[in-house]
Amino acid sequence: MFCLSVIKDTMAMHPSNFGAPVEDALIAEINKKYANRVLHDVGLCICVFDLSQAGEGKVRYGDGFLWYKVVFRMVVFRPFVSEVIIAKVKSSDEDGIRLSVNFFDDLYIPAAYLPQPTAFDPNERAHFWIPDSELTTTSELLDTLVSDRMYIDQGEVVRVRVESDEFCDDEPGPPKVTEGVQMKREPKRPPYVVCCSIAEQGLGPVAWWNGASQVVDGDEMDEG
Amino acid sequence: MEVINPRAALLSNYEVLSLLQELESDHLLRTKTALRVKKEEEASATAVASNPTVNTHLEASENLRTIEVEAISYLTADYLPTRSQTEEGIAGLVKNLAPFSLTKAEKLQVVNLSPTLPVELYVIVEELEDRLGEQIDEILEHVQTSLVAPATLTAKEAKPNGITAQASTDVSTAIVEEGQWDEDADAIYDEEIYDDTGAGIGVEGDLEMEDD
Repeated sequence: MFCLSVIKDTMAMHPSNFGAPVEDALIAEINKKYANRVLHDVGLCICVFDLSQAGEGKVRYGDGFLWYKVVFRMVVFRPFVSEVIIAKVKSSDEDGIRLSVNFFDDLYIPAAYLPQPTAFDPNERAHFWIPDSELTTTSELLDTLVSDRMYIDQGEVVRVRVESDEFCDDEPGPPKVTEGVQMKREPKRPPYVVCCSIAEQGLGPVAWWNGASQVVDGDEMDEG
Repeated sequence: MEVINPRAALLSNYEVLSLLQELESDHLLRTKTALRVKKEEEASATAVASNPTVNTHLEASENLRTIEVEAISYLTADYLPTRSQTEEGIAGLVKNLAPFSLTKAEKLQVVNLSPTLPVELYVIVEELEDRLGEQIDEILEHVQTSLVAPATLTAKEAKPNGITAQASTDVSTAIVEEGQWDEDADAIYDEEIYDDTGAGIGVEGDLEMEDD
């Protein structure tokens, strides 16, 4: 899930921080710039791991800042392809399921990566899976007994496999307001999206597999 | 900004959690001292005399605080094994896993997810039966012994004012251990590196190929 990235940057330090130890001040400065930020093709930065190199602070003409060239290691969230992670279901819609790991919630399971046969129940706002079923079409699946369905509810803990990840770096572009008329803005794409799958034995809600049969029976009782 | 190496090393969840918890207790300690200093200044009412421009207290940025708190809440969640892990436990586990022909990535996931049921191990390790056959139970046993019972942790949290009590004890231990802590953190890290080169030289190449 997490890895270390080596990054080089030039940091400016405000004179108000000169009182603190240089190392701490630099780390604080780097954290301010990078923490909770997605770097293109790197991942989501968590915090500084350590400093590898730091040059002398230099003063430039025109401001009172000290400029440091720093090489540091950053803790980055970037699950590798085929890694298994545990996440919580944040929401579901017709296209798939959105997952969350608290600090990052652009993890998606597209409908194609759900166990087959599966369908979306608009009343429950959740996908369900019917194990060992011959049915294929959505309407047929929605006619089944509720007690046969295995729902993937909101807030459920699921085990997923990472299939791919994608970064997108949208240019802000020129302002789209012309003469006081607000143009319709396109929905912003998230900068980092992880695509996951549960279409495999052992994946999906953790409760399905842990202590297999009893838990499943219990679920069915609840719903029936 | 220049990215020199986007994936220099892999970190286990436990390492990230201990780093974040250290940051957190550090932050609490700092806020406390800052508050105390402020109070003292107000009490003596001669605050003007002290130089207000020199700031030895570094404010943690909003972004850092957000991700720190959220990541800690994820890593200590009851559906992850991370909070029942210990440094020694993980080191022992990695050592015990060395004889099995697991790749570096698989070992990392065994450490992160601590599978205690065969089905969990099937997901992590490809073609588990063909490769390991009867050794599955042995691996699961090693994992089980590497975990400490989370009972002690839950008992701590079950206290009426669990959160505050825990926070303050964390801070006090942080003060005591601060001297050793850096060494410890490095030790885990170095050990991981060492293990990787020892057991998975071929595998490391595999991982890096993905980046290209």
